[in-house]
Amino acid sequence: MTSANEPIIQVNDLHHRYLRGTPLEVVALKGVTMEIYPGEAVGIIGRTGAGKSTIVQHFNGLIRPRERGKVIVDGMDLADPDIDIRALRQKVGLVFQYPEQQLFERYVGDDVAFGPLKMGLPMDEVRERVREAMEMVGLGFEEFKDRYTFSLSGGEMRKAAMAGVLALRPKILILDESTSGVDPRSRKELLSRIDYLHRTRGLTVIFVSPNMEDMAGLVDRIYVIDDGRTVMSGTTREIFSQPEKLVQHGLGIPQITEIVHELGRRGKVPPTTVLTVQEGKEVLWKILNSSGT
Amino acid sequence: MEDFEFLRNITIGQYLPGDSIVHRMDPRAKISIMLFLVIAITFNISYLANIILLVVTFLFVIASGISLGYILSGVKPAIPFIVVLALLQLLFYGDAYIPYNAVSRTLFRWGWIHITNGSVQLVIVSTLRFLQLLFLASLLTNTTTTSELTHGMEAMLAPFSRIGLPGHELSLVATISLRFVPILAEQLEIIMKAQASRGAELGAKGKLQFIQTTRQVVVLIVPLFIDAFRRAEDLILAMQARCYMGGRGRTHLMTLKFSRTDLIAYVVVLVFSAAMVIFRNSFPF
Repeated sequence: MTSANEPIIQVNDLHHRYLRGTPLEVVALKGVTMEIYPGEAVGIIGRTGAGKSTIVQHFNGLIRPRERGKVIVDGMDLADPDIDIRALRQKVGLVFQYPEQQLFERYVGDDVAFGPLKMGLPMDEVRERVREAMEMVGLGFEEFKDRYTFSLSGGEMRKAAMAGVLALRPKILILDESTSGVDPRSRKELLSRIDYLHRTRGLTVIFVSPNMEDMAGLVDRIYVIDDGRTVMSGTTREIFSQPEKLVQHGLGIPQITEIVHELGRRGKVPPTTVLTVQEGKEVLWKILNSSGT
Repeated sequence: MEDFEFLRNITIGQYLPGDSIVHRMDPRAKISIMLFLVIAITFNISYLANIILLVVTFLFVIASGISLGYILSGVKPAIPFIVVLALLQLLFYGDAYIPYNAVSRTLFRWGWIHITNGSVQLVIVSTLRFLQLLFLASLLTNTTTTSELTHGMEAMLAPFSRIGLPGHELSLVATISLRFVPILAEQLEIIMKAQASRGAELGAKGKLQFIQTTRQVVVLIVPLFIDAFRRAEDLILAMQARCYMGGRGRTHLMTLKFSRTDLIAYVVVLVFSAAMVIFRNSFPF
C-alpha cells in the first residue's frame, strides 16, 4: 500500500509497440515517465497519435509492460504476471475514448450493474451503487434502468458507460477523452460532479484530452506527451504559460489564457496566466474599470 | 498473461505492402495460380506429391519476401484444434483409410483404437496439405490489396455474367467480408477490454471453467453482432449517399495489366498442376 506522499502510479521510461513481432509493428511509446500522487487531478495532453490512450491502458493492466520500462500502480508492478489483476481493475476505473463502444448488456441498468455484480456484492448494495452512479452522470435511475442500451442516443450512451465505471467506486478514475460528444450542459455537469468527487472523497482523477479548455478548470498538474515521450510536465499554470512550446507539440492553450497573454504583451495588464473564464473575467473587469475612470 | 491484441494473430487477409515479384503480379494471374495449385493439392494423397507441392508453394513464399515466421504465427491459435483433429484421425480412421500404393497394415490395436500405416499417412499428408493451403491463402492476401483482389475477381467472373452470374456483386461481397475481418477483431478487442476493466475474468488466471467461458463468449458475441449490423447499415447508407449502383456501366480507376511474366507464371503453373493431377497415381510412395 502507498502512503500519501508516495506516488500511486509510477511510470518509468515506458516503451510499447503494437503488433509486436509482425511486419506491421508500430512503435507507440518511446519513453514515458510520470508520477501521479493519491488524490491528485492530473491531465495528460498531446496531439492525436501521441500515445495517450496507450499510456492509460497500462494503468489498469489492459496493456502490460513487456519491453523497457516499469509501471507501478498502488504498489503493484504490472510486469509481474502474478498480481491480482481484478483487484487492480476495481481500483482503477477507465472510461474509454469511445464509451458508447464499451456498452454490452441489453438494459442500461444491467450494464451499469455489471462491475458491482462481478465484485460479488449483495443485490441491495449493487442496486444502491447503480442508482448512485446513474444519478451522478445525470441519467435518472427509474427512467433509464430498463431502457435498451443500444437505443440510447450517443450522449446518453457515453453517460451510461461512465456510470458503469463509477459504479465500481474506483480509487483512480481515468477519463480518456470520454467527454467529447456530450452536449455542453451535461458535460459541464459531469465534470463538476467528477471535480466534486475528487475534492470530497479524494478520488484520483486522470484526465486525457487534446482539448486545453477541459483541462484548465479541472486538473492540478499536466503531462504533455508527444511522439510517445513525456515532453513537458508541470502545474497547469506553468504549462499554459509556455504557449510557444505547446504549439511546437501540436497543441494550443485555452482562448481565454491566450487573450490575457496578448493583453500582457501589449502592456494592458501585468503578464499573467489565467486558466478559467472566471479568472479571465476578473482581469478584463480590472482593465475596463481602470479605463472607465 | 492475457493479451487483447488479436490483430497480431490474424495473418490471413492482412495486406503487407511490398515490391516483390509476387506483389507485382496481376491479381487475375495470382487467383488463377492459386486455384490451379489448390486443385493439384486436393487430388494428391501421396507423400512424394505433397512434398513436391509443399516445396513449390514454399518457393512462392520465398519469392514474395514475406517472412515464414509471420505466416506460421497465424496458425498458433488454431494449433489445439489441429492437434485434436489429427489425434482423432490417427486413432479412429485406421479401418476407413486405405494407404496410397501400399497394403493396409495394423501398427497398433487396442479396443476401438486402431492405428494403421494408412491413418499415419492420413495425418502426415493432412498436415502437409494444411501447410500448403495456409501458404497459398496467406500469399494471395498478404501480397494483394483488397481492391486488386476485387477487380481481379470481378474481371474473372465477367464472362459468366451472360448466364446471369452477378460478378460485380459477388466480388463486392467478398471484398466487404475481407474488409470486416480486422474491423471485427478490433471491435472484439474493445469489448473484451471494456468487460475486463469492469471486472470480467477474461484471460485472468484460473482453472478451466467451461461453463463460465461459454457464458463469457455469449456476452461477447451479442455486442459484437450488434456492432457489425450497425456498421453494415452505415456502409449501406454511405454507399447510397454516393449513388452506388452496382456493376453496370461502372469504370475503374485502376486497370489491370496482364504482363509477360504473368503469362509465363500462369502457363507454367497450369502445366505443372495439370501434370500433378494426371500423374497423381504414378508416384512411388
